[in-house]
Amino acid sequence: MKFALRLPRSPSHRLSLFARSPSRARVALVATAALALTVLTTNAQVAKNAVREKIAGLELVVLKTGVKEVVTIRGSLAAGDALSPDGHPALADLTGGMLDKGTTKQDKFAIAQLLGNVGATISFGTEPSALNISAKCLRADLPLVLGLIAEQLRSPAFSREEFAKLKQQFAGNYRRQLDETDFRASDSFSRAVYPVGHPNRQAPSAEILASAEKATLEEVQAFHAKYYGPATFRLVLVGDIDPASAKSEVAKVFAGWTGGLRPPTPAPAKPGAVDAARDQNVFMPEKTNLSILWGQATGLRYGDTDTLALRVGTSALGSGFTGRLMANVRDKEGLTYGIGSYVAGDTFVDGDWRIQGNFAPEMLEKGIASTKRQLTEWYTNGITDAELAQRKTGLAGTYKVGLSTTAGMAGTILATLNRELELSFIDQYPARVGALTKEQVNGAIKKHLDPEKMVLVKAGTVPGAR
Amino acid sequence: MKRFSVVLFSALACVALLRAAEKPAAAPIKAEGFSFVKTVGAISEYKLDANGLAVLLLPEHSAPVVTFMVTYRVGSRHEVTGTTGATHLLEHLMFKGSDAYNRGKGTSVDQFLERVGGNYNATTYLDRTNYYAEIGNEHLEGYIAIEADRMRNLWLREEDRKPEMTVVRNEFEIGENDPEQALDKEITAAAFQAHPYHHSTIGWRSDIEKVSIEKLREFYDTFYWPDNATVTIIGDFEPAAGLALVKKYYGAIPKSPKPIPQIYTEEPAQSGPRRVTVRRAGELGVVGIAYKTPAARHADIPALNVLSSILSSGKTSRFYRALTDKNLTLNVSANTGYFHDPSLLNVYANLAPGATHEQVEKLLLAEIDRVKSAGVTAAEVATALGKIKAATAYKRDGYFSIAGNLNEDIAAGDWTLYYTLDAAMAKVTAADVTRVAQQYLDINQSVTGWFIPLAAK
Repeated sequence: MKFALRLPRSPSHRLSLFARSPSRARVALVATAALALTVLTTNAQVAKNAVREKIAGLELVVLKTGVKEVVTIRGSLAAGDALSPDGHPALADLTGGMLDKGTTKQDKFAIAQLLGNVGATISFGTEPSALNISAKCLRADLPLVLGLIAEQLRSPAFSREEFAKLKQQFAGNYRRQLDETDFRASDSFSRAVYPVGHPNRQAPSAEILASAEKATLEEVQAFHAKYYGPATFRLVLVGDIDPASAKSEVAKVFAGWTGGLRPPTPAPAKPGAVDAARDQNVFMPEKTNLSILWGQATGLRYGDTDTLALRVGTSALGSGFTGRLMANVRDKEGLTYGIGSYVAGDTFVDGDWRIQGNFAPEMLEKGIASTKRQLTEWYTNGITDAELAQRKTGLAGTYKVGLSTTAGMAGTILATLNRELELSFIDQYPARVGALTKEQVNGAIKKHLDPEKMVLVKAGTVPGAR
Repeated sequence: MKRFSVVLFSALACVALLRAAEKPAAAPIKAEGFSFVKTVGAISEYKLDANGLAVLLLPEHSAPVVTFMVTYRVGSRHEVTGTTGATHLLEHLMFKGSDAYNRGKGTSVDQFLERVGGNYNATTYLDRTNYYAEIGNEHLEGYIAIEADRMRNLWLREEDRKPEMTVVRNEFEIGENDPEQALDKEITAAAFQAHPYHHSTIGWRSDIEKVSIEKLREFYDTFYWPDNATVTIIGDFEPAAGLALVKKYYGAIPKSPKPIPQIYTEEPAQSGPRRVTVRRAGELGVVGIAYKTPAARHADIPALNVLSSILSSGKTSRFYRALTDKNLTLNVSANTGYFHDPSLLNVYANLAPGATHEQVEKLLLAEIDRVKSAGVTAAEVATALGKIKAATAYKRDGYFSIAGNLNEDIAAGDWTLYYTLDAAMAKVTAADVTRVAQQYLDINQSVTGWFIPLAAK
């Protein structure tokens, strides 16, 4: 779900604005985007300045920053898609979808009116391992927004009429996604690299649509009762906040809430463990652009020893215009608008390593050949001293510039909690990167990746395919 | 009526409170070689006397970072048949280097900015092209030096155009994959028959492929001059030092030898509704309706913005209640154009499975008619103003956000809209909204488009 608020002067012809760099949602392009961190000052000392406490059974972090008036809220709860019962993959998403459809106290229009009057937003969305909460408001409206978040999480109305509507909306939005080459590539890639039962493996679209069709309100209510509760709830408040007031407000609105269930950690996916074709086509007619994903499971979580080294090495291959992929496949050879490499899906569980790119059908063969050359050279000979030095200074700069918005800071803090790392990790991060050696970086690449076991997925009008 | 007055007063008071929270600009400084132009809000404008370069300064010291942006007042509205997309292609070529700064020397803009770390990009739109970076303040001089150099010293080589053309063509192809974007291009082209807003900023495919390096050079030599640009510095810097850097690197560049060409083509009056259809492979349909609206500087834009919000922003909006909540659409957006010349208020409705184009179009028009005949309520205006008030604060959450908003105001032709538009919106009444709905949501001044998905062959 998206924020409903639009800035008044947001260009209406947003569809036709063109940027030199593809959006970061498409590929990781900014020099250290794969390593993104956020700080407000050079030595922000997040760990020292943030208040981190267990309140009303949930984990709360509050950080006051220099911004005026604005507060950003981020939260997560272990109620993601992976917790949907076997054979019923849409259930977690449908449960999350009922949160903004009214509560036992007021209907969805009344809640929307309260938020709209003060320009505040609250949205919920599910990902494989979590239900995510995202909100933004002015300082004075924080009690209102916290109260509504609590009300929506704790006591959804579960109206039969709203549930019937939601099922149709779910099916419509899902079908809209099926029209996107990026989505189709990602969907197939997940089943090609993650084994059955792994949280990052997406169910096939037919199963998801069938699940939504057959889901009952009682099943959604049962899912809510089982997984929604403070035991796995992490809440982060960043911006123009008085921490003491915020803490007491959180304690008040979540008082008496119980429940929540931490899922067991799955066994890490072994690279190449899935018996899937190494070269897959997802044919979509009349598409002028193809999306490709090329990679493998790593078996690594974000906090594992080699992950940082692997991420730095990966950024030298595919982050920014000086990364090898953009410098060669795009800038030198003109084969694509966007291509990059990054590590994904490793916040809650072990993740994957991937190259993501776009090619016109007539450029596909050349584009893949060029990408393979870069991948092979990078894997075989590793990154150079100069590349490592550049990534280190780039990271230091990005650390300083950082995500200097409340949204960036809140997102980083929540990710750090979900990675089960201490907040001091944020402060130590540049030093950790600075201490990496070329041998560590290249060693991690060799140890955890194997191009022979990688899967290539092409989604779009693949020449010669049907 | 009484209730409305109270709500409006409250909204105005809140806007005033937010303004008070923003630091006032420091007194203008005297910097040799610059003329002080004006201060509005926290932003001061100067002009570099030597060449007419406009400079906007917004010092803010909450973080040791700075955003530097140069906005050229050239966009796709300056293109003609055969050169559509040239502004955008040139923007890409601006990263290919110069004698002083290039990849071979290890000094290219990409190498510099990715070495020092930060966020950077360049974008092209209907009225402007901008280049910007958010970096540590100690790197400001290095970036200004590169940015100033490429204003006049860019390499423009055929060997760079060839591979970049296919890059841009792939960008075009990615856009064509998107049903709403494909429909938007056709609706806009039907709405503007004479004015260059007719074509999308990405350009027509054949022009992207065939525009020559000579034409691109001509474009560069016509529009990339200091007297056609505004540089903006936001963040942790001292105004005197910032101006000194601007003078050091931009001061020696002469002003344009010829007057910058002005667009004088006006769209002739439309005399009836227009329709377009796009049939392509796809999953679900789209209905779009676009109405002619005035330029960004026009006094009716604030009320049109409030109208757009009432129509489509959030669950309380008219379109949500009439369509999305009834499972006829997945979402409906309404946005008022904010451009240098008269543009469009666009409504786009993504159809839900089972809904028909006829049904959705009819309901969209019924809602629009209801606004025109019965007007909007004070409560709806109050909600829109609440969102605007909050948006005023949100847009200051990060220097990049400020730069992005300011960039569109510069392009619109008056950067002070950054402040005055919000203030004007806070004064909008229900009567204003009803009046602009009646005036501009005129079916005879509209284009309706359908994206009809075709089943896979």
